[in-house]
Amino acid sequence: MRYVMFACSAVAVLSAMPATAAYHLMTSGTPEYVAKSGLSVTPSQDWNRLGSRPGRNAESWTLDGLALNDMTFYGGIGNDETLFRDAQKKDMPLPHFSSTMLAPDVAQLFEGSYRVANNTTLMSVDSIEPAQVGDQKGFRFTYSFTKQDEEVKRKGEALGAIVGGKLYLLTFEAPAIFYFDRDIASARALMTSAKIGPAPKSN
Amino acid sequence: MKSVLLCAAAVVACALSVPSIAKPLAAPGYDVPAGKPMRIVVLRPDVEVGSLTAGGVAEPNADWTATARGLLGTSLDSEAKAHGNTIVMMPDLQGDDGQTVADYQALFRAVSDAIVQHKVLPGQRLPTKKEAFDWTLGPGASKLGDLAGGADYALMLYDRDSFGTAGRKALQIFTLLATSAIGAGVFIPGGVHICYASLVDLRTGNVVWFNLLPSSAGDIRTAEGSGAVVNKLLTGMPGTTAVPALVAAAK
Repeated sequence: MRYVMFACSAVAVLSAMPATAAYHLMTSGTPEYVAKSGLSVTPSQDWNRLGSRPGRNAESWTLDGLALNDMTFYGGIGNDETLFRDAQKKDMPLPHFSSTMLAPDVAQLFEGSYRVANNTTLMSVDSIEPAQVGDQKGFRFTYSFTKQDEEVKRKGEALGAIVGGKLYLLTFEAPAIFYFDRDIASARALMTSAKIGPAPKSN
Repeated sequence: MKSVLLCAAAVVACALSVPSIAKPLAAPGYDVPAGKPMRIVVLRPDVEVGSLTAGGVAEPNADWTATARGLLGTSLDSEAKAHGNTIVMMPDLQGDDGQTVADYQALFRAVSDAIVQHKVLPGQRLPTKKEAFDWTLGPGASKLGDLAGGADYALMLYDRDSFGTAGRKALQIFTLLATSAIGAGVFIPGGVHICYASLVDLRTGNVVWFNLLPSSAGDIRTAEGSGAVVNKLLTGMPGTTAVPALVAAAK
């Protein structure tokens, strides 16, 4: 089975992907509303935005490819919603967000979601502390994980807040070797620039 | 079961849709120091060889894998020596050193997948890297040279080969005949063969050259086939022939 998955991953990366998965330039210094929500950020360097969304209210940016640096925004996850698409709803359902959650609960939700989505037990939240998201009180947590059948150890950092009963979360993750340390400053700059407000009408 | 079938379908579909790479990819303007032989450490080739059933399921074969890995190592050594370079095979290390090598091999796969996805596949280009070829393992990759007793470059090789079983070959012929009769001419691939190699400058950790073979150049279970694969794969590698037209290949 492992070989089948290996073969599939090898060929999957070589297979043609849908045109909707194309990447778009996010220009340095230009404010952007993200994740179809009122969450906005201003990048301090150019990023690439993936055309397809990991969830209805989520979007991902990268510098070198999502496996090497992945900045994902979750914009206004509502009560009883999942962080990302519940692709294996029947066999391995994702945990759901609740508006009454506190910061540790959100970290637990995130950890549980990653364990399911990446089919791994090698996922842990390593620290959690209070933080600001724009002018909103929120939280920051760090995490580490290794995906099933991949062996790359990754580190991550998340900044989030619950506003009006909805979860706004910005996460950055990258391989622990080199990439995380190189790119975390750029990711933190995005997080520091985050503002939560009303969603623009075009969303 | 569903996932196995999906994987099988993906294997078949992808074998038909793997884009070809016209030339190796390389860092713009990069060249090895002239007149100086390269000392290259070769990491244990990441190889898995097996059979592909009529249903499209890849089944591993440990004997084929071991044979192919050994032959690829020998072929790499011969190819490098033919160009006046020195090959050092990374020894099997234990403990922290072994973990370091394993961690870099895993990162190599992630970086290589990114290169294939964003430089080879159509419609997946990163706008910030239109002209650039600047993927890296980071300067910490110099540890690989230290662990090998000194090396300027690391050569990393990944290969997945699955050969069609008798049942699959029969299905191949039957499908071709049956669909030809109605004018469709559907071809089912006999196997899946993917091989790529990267050359990493250990002073910087930068990937300075990358090549992908999306189809078989030979049966890597034989000395002759393995030699053909390595010869084709390393064509254009800095230090072996003239440096290719670099970034033009990525456009």
